[in-house]
Amino acid sequence: MASKRKRVKTGTARTALSFQDMILRLSEFWARQGCVLALPYDLEVGAGTMCPETFLRVLGPEPWRVAYIQPSRRPADGRYGENPNRLLKHTQMQVILKPPPPDIQEVFLASLEDLGIDLRHHDIRFEEDNWEAPTLGAWGIGWQVMLDGLEITQFTYFQQSGGIDLEPISVELTYGLERIAAFLQAADDVFRVRWDNKITYGDMRREEERELSLYDFEAASAQTCRTLFELYEGEAARLLAACRAGASTHGFPLRKVYELCLKCSHLFNILDARGAISVTERVALIGRVRKLACEVAGIYLDRKAAVVEAEPA
Amino acid sequence: MKHSTLPLLVELGCEEIPARFLDDARDDFGRQMLSALGESRLLPASAEPARWYSTPRRLTVWVPAVLAKQPDVVEELIGPPVKVGLDPAGKPTRAAESFAAKNAARVADLVQITTPKGQYLALKKTHSGQAAVDLLPGILPGVVSSLNFPKSMYWVAKSGPRFVRPIRWILALWGEGKQARTIPFEIAGVKAGNVTCGHRILGRGGLRVQGFADYLKKLQQAGVELDPEKRRTRIRAEIKALLEDLRLRPVEDNWLEAWIVNSTEWPTALLGQFDRRYLHLPREILVTVMRDHQKYFAVEDGKGNLQPRFVTVLNLDGDTQGRIREGHQRVLSARFADAEFFWNADQKATLQDRRPLLDRVTYQAELGSYGEKVQRMKAVARELCAVLEGYAGPCIPDDSLLPDNERAPKGAVPRLVRFVPMVRERVLRAVELCKSDLTTQMVQEFPELQGVVGGLYASAQGESSQVSEAIYDHYLPQGAEDRCPRSMVGAIVSLADKIDSVVGGFAVGHEPTGSSDPFALRRQGNGIIKVMVENSLPLPLRLLVERALNILTIEWRKPQLEVFRAVLEFLEDRLRYYLETVRRLRYDSVRAVLAAGWDVPVDALWRAEALERVRGSENFESLSLAAKRIKNILGKSATAEDWRPGEVDAGILEEGPERELYVAYGSAAAEAGQLTASGEYDKALAAIAGLRPAVDRFFDKVLVMTGDRGVRQNRLRLLGKLDQLFSGIARFAEIVGGPGDVDASTLRTVKSDK
Repeated sequence: MASKRKRVKTGTARTALSFQDMILRLSEFWARQGCVLALPYDLEVGAGTMCPETFLRVLGPEPWRVAYIQPSRRPADGRYGENPNRLLKHTQMQVILKPPPPDIQEVFLASLEDLGIDLRHHDIRFEEDNWEAPTLGAWGIGWQVMLDGLEITQFTYFQQSGGIDLEPISVELTYGLERIAAFLQAADDVFRVRWDNKITYGDMRREEERELSLYDFEAASAQTCRTLFELYEGEAARLLAACRAGASTHGFPLRKVYELCLKCSHLFNILDARGAISVTERVALIGRVRKLACEVAGIYLDRKAAVVEAEPA
Repeated sequence: MKHSTLPLLVELGCEEIPARFLDDARDDFGRQMLSALGESRLLPASAEPARWYSTPRRLTVWVPAVLAKQPDVVEELIGPPVKVGLDPAGKPTRAAESFAAKNAARVADLVQITTPKGQYLALKKTHSGQAAVDLLPGILPGVVSSLNFPKSMYWVAKSGPRFVRPIRWILALWGEGKQARTIPFEIAGVKAGNVTCGHRILGRGGLRVQGFADYLKKLQQAGVELDPEKRRTRIRAEIKALLEDLRLRPVEDNWLEAWIVNSTEWPTALLGQFDRRYLHLPREILVTVMRDHQKYFAVEDGKGNLQPRFVTVLNLDGDTQGRIREGHQRVLSARFADAEFFWNADQKATLQDRRPLLDRVTYQAELGSYGEKVQRMKAVARELCAVLEGYAGPCIPDDSLLPDNERAPKGAVPRLVRFVPMVRERVLRAVELCKSDLTTQMVQEFPELQGVVGGLYASAQGESSQVSEAIYDHYLPQGAEDRCPRSMVGAIVSLADKIDSVVGGFAVGHEPTGSSDPFALRRQGNGIIKVMVENSLPLPLRLLVERALNILTIEWRKPQLEVFRAVLEFLEDRLRYYLETVRRLRYDSVRAVLAAGWDVPVDALWRAEALERVRGSENFESLSLAAKRIKNILGKSATAEDWRPGEVDAGILEEGPERELYVAYGSAAAEAGQLTASGEYDKALAAIAGLRPAVDRFFDKVLVMTGDRGVRQNRLRLLGKLDQLFSGIARFAEIVGGPGDVDASTLRTVKSDK
């Protein structure tokens, strides 16, 4: 998929892409690269990596190319909609390429040019930044991509997911869309980014930011969050135990158990933002979520192997 | 014969290699290449030296002269003796024929050689060297796979190649100009060729290369400065050009400069500005944001005042449209806005208000919260103050409490300090507040500023400068080479923190083992010694460790006494390391001094320094020999149960050398005792060294192991007294003397065995 860099005339701030046009443009770009455009996942996640389209599909040998928009929540980054640069819920464009083409960096840069960023007049850098999602047993090696000093994308060669070595490796590209939009529109305040030609990002989201921050920092009952954590974890553990007892993995609601695990991960984030977790407890809770995630990943692979064995017969 | 050589150029093209690995990667690649070529006998005896270069996307080695062919090797195969191989007429026998046949040679090729065993028939077989062209395809992949990185990765599959970042092209050129040819080999699915790549943005497509000069020229045209030193020079010159006319300068930073050199192919400096209003934030915070987070140089005027400007270094040829500057300024401004937000938000609760929150912040699982740690630090700090207040040795007042003009000049000889009660009050206040900044948003955002932020907040919240400085400094020193806290108050807070960390760490089984030290306790231990010694604090380690152990409330998994011993042994090691490595004292002086006691580290330093000064004198060298002799005699006698220490019976001393030595000993011991008590170790050692003539005469004229048991025992007791005297300040017997000293080599061995 050697891509020719298409030089798009750089627009001025006024004619720069709106937030939604930017999403459309990126989606089209990656669809042209053979990615299936998946839908955003309907569960709270900390990053697009946590969606099954990434977490599970990077496992196993089948080639896979997917791109999707994923709203992602980081309770600790909440600022009640008052900080011009920080958001509790931000929007990621997540791209997975398994296996990655050898010119993957070039293709990525072409996607930026497609958004109207003339790289001849900007300082683009790949700075070492290795990414890790400890609750998922997932990590990779790569860079944060810096555009004139602004981190716009995380570029990662995935090494492990669910504690399992990847064969083949996937590349994960995670675009921070609000930052790129603000950059394109030369906006000092994310809430002033044009969503389309009439509505701003602030119109769409400021109230939500305030309310989510309010809950995660103040209103959340740590006790309730803990109880929920334990209920979800318990339900997942129950199903996993049943799966282990019966030999077949076919009757196992794998993706549901994974959802329970993601619920735990999000509740953990709220507790953390709330300041309700000590450093040691933190490690222990992360370990409990990771255990669920790793077990799910293992069953996912076993099940695929069983299908492959069954097919030739 | 002159061997023909050709130049070899190898470039490994990668996706961006992390800046922090690049220097080592480049050197490693160059050295491995040379050693592999050397092992394959492809390097001429003398030639223009090889050079190696790097940019974030390439590692390059240029070897100007590689032999086109390995030198031939002549092997000598020895056959039968001439007597056997040739008949009396000189004709070859069957033996000679079969030797030749076995080695696929003709009988006519046999020559006669002379060996130590006599005349033999032999064959000289010439193995012609292989051509470099045939060898290099095997050598080069081996060089690449021999490179090691602190962190490497897979990019195809776990079963696939592994390197610091994906390898995307390989240039391997042998020869120069039209004759240049590619060395064919493949690594990680990438075939070597004669093509390189230019700068990501400034270069266009692949560049066909015909030799090193051509390579450099084409890279320059394609926006790549290959030589890191040239990039460094350019960065310096450009920054200077930007700032000179404004009479400004960058805040010097070698780490940052190296980082930039290793993360650019075509560096261009760019000056930016930020809103002056952010200058009300402390310099430490502004510089950390610029340096650590944005990789910008901060800018100051001639007086060192921070200016609302910064220098960023682009990996591009300029900013003709001015949009790059705008972008960087916007990012920095957002970062500063964040920092300002944290600063203001954090002020809503003082460090004192935050103190109870520490009960919820875990220090270490087995050692409880930071709240508990602060409590323990307070107890240790009280103990430290009590010792210092009770100290009755020679003192001067703690001049850190005096106005600047009354303080001792910087660099003055360290002196003991009279501890005033005011210090205790401030120490305890600083301990109370020193960990509270862990609950601030600023430290959560900039963890590298812990302590510093606490100090700045304390000062903003009206704490005295002594207290805020102590909080600011209390993580210092970060190692044996780092600086110490500026004041006595800071030194004691730092000690209280580190003693608690080390003792607590050992108590719960976190002690360092071999190269593993996950809790960095060695660094803390080095800090304890350094602070005690460099602030001239006469603090006894045993007492402090014991007290620090007693206040721990943990579940003891091993006996306290065992922990106590382990901590002390560890601290002795740290002290030895400090004296030998930081102070560069001779290892045997250090041994001698430590053998005489090291409970008060600064006292050990003073004794060691005095010893270093006197040990070269003639008297002293001879005395250290005598000390060894005495030790030997006493050692043997003690095992023979011939002698127990005790008082010398002056009545049975023989007139002459024996009585003279006894008298000389008495006055030297008294004098040395007084001098030692007042810390005048140089003079005390000189007084002891003055015993030398008396000791020498004694050993010349007097037989110690005489037949009379009473006399013998009395003489041994006299030697026992001398032994005590020769071991008080330093154990003289440990000193390794000149070439005449037979014990020198054995002492060395013992040392290295340890």
